[in-house]
Amino acid sequence: MSDIHAYAERALSSVRSHQQSEVYVSDALVHTVYIDDSRISNIETKRDTGLMVRVADGGRQGKASVSLSSDSSVECCVRMAESVLRFSPESSDFRGYVQPGRARIAQPDVWDPRVDAVSPDDLREMAQRLIDSCRVNIPRAQIRVSTNECRVMNGNGVDAGHRSTLVYGHFTSMFRGDHPGEGMETFHGTHMDIDLEAVGESLARQAEGSARGREFKGSRSLTMILPPGQLGDMMMSSVGSVVNGENVKYGRSLWKDSLGQEVASKGLTLIDDPSSRAPLSCVFDDEGAPAERKAVVENGILKSFLRDSFCGDSTGNGMRRSSVEAQGAYERTPVVKPLNLVASPGRYTPEEIVEQTDNGILVERFAWPEADGLTGRFGLNVRCGHIIRKGEVVDTISNALLMGNMIDAVKNIELIGKDVRQMGVVSVPTMSFSGTELVGN
Amino acid sequence: MQSASLMQAEDAQDILARAVDRMQDLGAEFSDARSQTVRVAGVSTMNGNIRQLVEKETGGVCLRAWAGGRWGYGTVTSFDRDKVMQAAEQAVRNASGERKSDLQLEPSVVRGYHPAKVRIHPDSVDLSEKIDAVIALDKAQAIDDRIMNRVGSYSEEVKTNALVNSAGSDMGWEEVRTLCRAVSVAADGMRMEQYYDGPDSTRGFEVVRDADLEELGRLTAKEAIATLAAERAPSGNLTVISDPMVSGLLAHEAMGHASEGDEITKRRSFLTDAVGRRVASDIISMYDNGTVPGAHGSVPFDDEGTPSSCTTIIENGIYKGYMHSLETASQLGLAPTGNGRAENYGKRVWVRMTNTYFGPGQWDRDEMIADTKDGILCDKMVNGMEDPVGGCFEAKCLRGFLIRNGEIVKPLQSFTLTGRSVDILGSADALSREVVLDGGMCGKGIEDWVRVSSGGPYMRARMIVGGGQ
Repeated sequence: MSDIHAYAERALSSVRSHQQSEVYVSDALVHTVYIDDSRISNIETKRDTGLMVRVADGGRQGKASVSLSSDSSVECCVRMAESVLRFSPESSDFRGYVQPGRARIAQPDVWDPRVDAVSPDDLREMAQRLIDSCRVNIPRAQIRVSTNECRVMNGNGVDAGHRSTLVYGHFTSMFRGDHPGEGMETFHGTHMDIDLEAVGESLARQAEGSARGREFKGSRSLTMILPPGQLGDMMMSSVGSVVNGENVKYGRSLWKDSLGQEVASKGLTLIDDPSSRAPLSCVFDDEGAPAERKAVVENGILKSFLRDSFCGDSTGNGMRRSSVEAQGAYERTPVVKPLNLVASPGRYTPEEIVEQTDNGILVERFAWPEADGLTGRFGLNVRCGHIIRKGEVVDTISNALLMGNMIDAVKNIELIGKDVRQMGVVSVPTMSFSGTELVGN
Repeated sequence: MQSASLMQAEDAQDILARAVDRMQDLGAEFSDARSQTVRVAGVSTMNGNIRQLVEKETGGVCLRAWAGGRWGYGTVTSFDRDKVMQAAEQAVRNASGERKSDLQLEPSVVRGYHPAKVRIHPDSVDLSEKIDAVIALDKAQAIDDRIMNRVGSYSEEVKTNALVNSAGSDMGWEEVRTLCRAVSVAADGMRMEQYYDGPDSTRGFEVVRDADLEELGRLTAKEAIATLAAERAPSGNLTVISDPMVSGLLAHEAMGHASEGDEITKRRSFLTDAVGRRVASDIISMYDNGTVPGAHGSVPFDDEGTPSSCTTIIENGIYKGYMHSLETASQLGLAPTGNGRAENYGKRVWVRMTNTYFGPGQWDRDEMIADTKDGILCDKMVNGMEDPVGGCFEAKCLRGFLIRNGEIVKPLQSFTLTGRSVDILGSADALSREVVLDGGMCGKGIEDWVRVSSGGPYMRARMIVGGGQ
């Protein structure tokens, strides 16, 4: 690692004369192997080190970031931030940077020495193991391992450091034939826990299964069953948006007036838990505010919103880091983000959820799982889905639109699985939701 | 502002040349060294207050070695000679294929420095004028109590690139992009809708000075309020008139990604072996053109130093050809088309679009509406997804209008379009004379975002429509 501590201290000493000041330095070492067409096409090694400086006088703010490319980079960044400050108008929204606070949780287990020790040769071996374990073509895949170290300091006395490892994988598969089929898997984690043989087997099974899919015709109201790989992003884009303190502050959250009220089915409990092993888990967030374990939704009741320093009364959710990429954290202004939003598991296996569904669709893969953050609406292309009648899969379909509203859907949860899986900053099990509509050609 | 690190980037040519020599000495069959600095200034407001005010200057050096049929990359955010040399050595170790490649990469040989062609370089304009423009854009949206959020934003990006390769190129070039945007959120009880508009370009600050910001802000807010009365869109296989933004999304998602050379060499695209085949009605022509003056996706050179070009993808309904990087062009025995692009110095190069659009037709927009008995008119896109394997696509529209008996009868909430690309383009029966390009970001797979534009005329075709609840 570079000496990020010396950079941080030097930068802060240069800007302490301002009423408010903050410096953030991050250093990342990233190795990635890419697979194209079932062969290793590219291996990358990246070192990325940079600094962000924020200064404020009254309601005026200046902010700049640089990659630390030379000895003069720190001074360059300070000059840029102060130059911006001179032009800045007053803002009544600015509340100041974070005040120092005590740690509220123990250090989570987010550093894996095995990740730190990975070499490009190790990655090459991992990629080959994946290729060998997948009986269908892998048109595109990547495995990325990173180490990340960062430090945030501010003029109020905050001084917090963090280091973590990240392991990220994104994998696709393809079954070639008259009607080709595709599969997709992702892995998000901090440790070298990735089971490449299982990934290879799943990719092959998905691709072969989706090749049997046929185009859906007509329209039908049904229950939507989403496995973790699809539900994670759906939950993040919808519930993640309405519990975001900045959206609440500006009135654009549908749950802005719902604190203490029932917003979801009783079975839904969501805890933001930065104390367990997850990509963004930490003791202090990227502004230096203490992170904490907190109930966001408990038995369907909205218990809290997530906030950073801009929202005021920070809950330790001001994040610059990404759950998939260690590179470039210093370039990003902190935004409100769940650190590790975990849905409590239910009682059922995915198979039991299917068995108890009378009329539904198990979505194996959307084109891109996402709901509108403002309204909760979605209309998503189903790349591969399994039609269920009276507890049995009766058909596999593709190329249809599944429509609904995720903010309404969480009020209509039918069953919750026990197969909780980490998907970025969200951990969810399979869930089924009533009240969606499928439309085809 | 011209800072120390920028100067280093421009002076880095000698270091880059030595790094290329080092990679060749270590066994690379081809190598290139690319340095880049990216200077960004961004201003945004929320309800009259400054929300973001930032300047950034990031940069680094990307060393790339081709050996044994694979690439090795080494990247550092440092212009220090020793660190660049270490990254060059790492790049060759990372490549280290088992066999000599049977591919012969054939890069263009380019020399000299090529500055951006802009009338008013953003560096020559005070930050205060940029802030004033954004505040004016924000205030202009305050036309009604139902406007709950007013956002004005401005951003500029100046990229300075230097590239040396083992084929003899020793070059530099500059890219400038300027964007300005208004976003209004209107609310009525629990109902919320938003609308956005604003220019984007590879031109300079003239984009802002030439814009009527007062009118832009006012109209954006007015349309957000109008959308509050929108109803749920009908669902099914319907007649749709896509506006230029949604036509562009179709060009990009339905045919563009599937025409990227790497999807062809892997035989992952439904358009593999499609050259000479009919893929659309004969009124459809489509291009990827990185040379469109001022368009958001234009680049003088791609990130391998190949001059940008115009690729005809479809001509009068017949499929004509693919976009290429050095590698995919070599694999297919064709010339590179200037589509080897990377998000930045820290990301890999692969085949990416630039400005992708359908050519014009013979109709006026209003004639097309008057000629449509039952249908939907799209207004602005949200985002889309490609499906090169299945030959389908997904396009989300911000809103639309219901057409009955040749007239617009009511606004519609956001909805999604899908269908088989060939079926949709085969059903196209009317295109407008007007063609508009709209800038945006394109990811491939799950990341690697590059600046592109897409567009076309108003286009009438049959598609599957579904509206969210």
